[in-house]
Amino acid sequence: MSAALAALLDPALPGRTPDRPVAGYVGADVPVELLTAAGYHPLRLSGSPHEDASPGRRLLGGGLDPVACSVLTRLLAGAYGQLDVLVVSRDCEASLRLFYVLRELARVEPSVALPPVHLVDVLHLPHRTTTRYVLAKVRGLRTWLAGRSGRPAGDDALAAAVAAHDRVRGLLRATGDLRAQRGLTGTEFLGVVDAATALLPDRAAELLTALVAELPDRGPRPGHPVHLTGSSHDSPDVYAAVEAAGLLVVGEDHDRGDLLAATDVGDPGDPAGLELALAERYQFNGPAAPRASIAEQAAHTAARVHARGAAGLLGYVRRHDDGPPWDWAAQRAAAGVPAASLEHQPYGRVDPDALDRAVRTLRAPAVAA
Amino acid sequence: MSAPARTGRLPSAAAATAYQRQWFADLHRDHVPGAPLALVNADAPQEVFRAMGIPYVVNQWWASIVAAKRRTQDHLARLRERGYPDHTEQYSSTALGSAFDPDPASAPWGGLPMPSIVLAETTGDASRKIFDVWGEQPGVTFYPLESAAADTVPERWWELMPHHWEDAVGSDRLDLMVGELEGLIRFLEQTTGRRFSEQRFAEVLALTNEQEEWNRRTRDLVAAARPCPVAVTDSIPAVMIPQWHRGTTWARDAAHRLHDEVAGRVSAGAAVCDGERARLMWVGRGLWFDLEFYQRFQERYGAVFVWSMYLAIAADGYVRYGDDPLRTLAARFAAFSDQLYTPPWSAEWYVKEARTHGVQGVVHLVSDDARGSWATSRALRAAGIPVLELHADNVDARRSDPDHLDRTVGSWIEAEVLPRADD
Repeated sequence: MSAALAALLDPALPGRTPDRPVAGYVGADVPVELLTAAGYHPLRLSGSPHEDASPGRRLLGGGLDPVACSVLTRLLAGAYGQLDVLVVSRDCEASLRLFYVLRELARVEPSVALPPVHLVDVLHLPHRTTTRYVLAKVRGLRTWLAGRSGRPAGDDALAAAVAAHDRVRGLLRATGDLRAQRGLTGTEFLGVVDAATALLPDRAAELLTALVAELPDRGPRPGHPVHLTGSSHDSPDVYAAVEAAGLLVVGEDHDRGDLLAATDVGDPGDPAGLELALAERYQFNGPAAPRASIAEQAAHTAARVHARGAAGLLGYVRRHDDGPPWDWAAQRAAAGVPAASLEHQPYGRVDPDALDRAVRTLRAPAVAA
Repeated sequence: MSAPARTGRLPSAAAATAYQRQWFADLHRDHVPGAPLALVNADAPQEVFRAMGIPYVVNQWWASIVAAKRRTQDHLARLRERGYPDHTEQYSSTALGSAFDPDPASAPWGGLPMPSIVLAETTGDASRKIFDVWGEQPGVTFYPLESAAADTVPERWWELMPHHWEDAVGSDRLDLMVGELEGLIRFLEQTTGRRFSEQRFAEVLALTNEQEEWNRRTRDLVAAARPCPVAVTDSIPAVMIPQWHRGTTWARDAAHRLHDEVAGRVSAGAAVCDGERARLMWVGRGLWFDLEFYQRFQERYGAVFVWSMYLAIAADGYVRYGDDPLRTLAARFAAFSDQLYTPPWSAEWYVKEARTHGVQGVVHLVSDDARGSWATSRALRAAGIPVLELHADNVDARRSDPDHLDRTVGSWIEAEVLPRADD
């Protein structure tokens, strides 16, 4: 393993910076640049499939994505440590419902220890009216953060934060593209993305730069290359199971993988344009399953299968993740490679018999040849 | 004092049902394939179509008709056959099964004619995708509307909405919805050749406000009346069929008629249940596949469902006054579902309604979806009102054994409601 990869995947990786307040955030639709510019250490919150999530499920209901139930449980238990603020995006219905419960808890049970919470309502229809709305939400978050931190994030700080996060995104894309040469497993890439969202951007860029330099010297990873679609993955368990079964995840279309870094904010040239550039970046970042149209998702899937040289399309859908099952028929038709779907899967796990059947389906053409 | 007279079917409920049946018959007779016809979601701004003379069918109302005719499983099976899920948002996806019906003439009320336009807000993770599939059908165009969410909201929205909706909903959401509506109108002008008249639009909005004001008076009558003068199985069609036809003189007059009939019953001391012992509230969508459900408990226990969201949301959720018609309409829909499903709006409203109706218990239908239940149940319980969370889907009966539902509700009434009611 390369030294940079080992450092990025180190379980002891520092998740926060001493003396910096921490801004926890939920979902990839949070303009993380604003958190950095306001002086916070941004920390993306993950659930844990290995922990009991009953308290969160009691509040969110049994029909909601278990990831949100787990995040809520962990928030209530203080599992993320001190969070000075919490910003929730509306990247999926579960995140929005999580925000509503947090807001209601603060209203009716103020004794529950929770950080101040803010919703950033980034929407995604490709309309000018939507952009104007998202711009208002970006400005609203900037104002709210200034109120919480006691000092506004100036244009220079925001420009620097944008440049730093763009750099990380560019390096993540470069790392992801090395998966076409099978330079790292999907499980490893998931860990790299997770590290990149836990470190301050300058440190993340330093390690990712080294990784991109070191990976070409690494031999190809084994496994039948597949593109993974469907639910997102906030733990490595499912990737590890899929790859242990003989597949190699060379790409995916969820925002804890390739989709996190699909586009940049860019340099608008004029500091006055930074907020609009942020709004457009988050509105148009790419087709996430809960928010994209079926046609967008299918076209994106087909393009990514081709770009990464995937020989199969694997769908994985967690229980109560309602969007992906509607995408599957079109994705399958568009992909042009053998396809198999695993539906109704438990959080962080995969049914082994169903996985065996999926692997046989995905490898069938190669066997026949 | 003599016992109150037992009521029969509410005439306005029967009239509304007959009207709807005739309306569908006329639609089948007059509709020319390819002519403008819309399928719209319940929480979408139908008034634009009304003003432009474009006929429309409401997605969830059609689903309720299909469910009442026990045809939901046929419809869901057609989705399954095409590789779409049959276990998400069934209330919104049932009508899509109609699009794939090989024998539409055998469907309820002659079936759902193929629309040319479908309109929905991009709510949830699956709802917009259901409409994406509609949009893939030949001759059908999907017009999606954004659905925005607010960081902060006032608690007592029902006091603000009629006149101070800008404060309640927020300017950003209204700006967005106005922009969306302007786009919708231009789209409809270009694709249907129909004209959008500001004068006609203002008439539609005024008729709608009149209709909902009648519903408000009716709701207040029912809240104050002892015993309950009208069954929810009557008030639901008597309110909701005109609701789907709002903006017409027929709908306005139907609401007026409903009010007068209820007022007459209240004056006469009429009761839907002899010996009413307990007053219940039904929180959630109608249990369309088993509408007799509500009556069984009044027959067994004298426990009467005096409240459903349909009359109550008509009373509090639609009325909007303002000088800018399009922004006024935007204010009706920019936060419509929040009123029913988003705390603190929803939770505080249910408590207010429970108190004004003097209920001794609430049956809260909790479906296996994202809307959740905790805040509503918590708020009602905090107000001292017993709550039964009943886990079932309102159109998909597969997980709802009727005996289980009956036993669950019956046991709860015996254990928690009747002792409280008889105090």
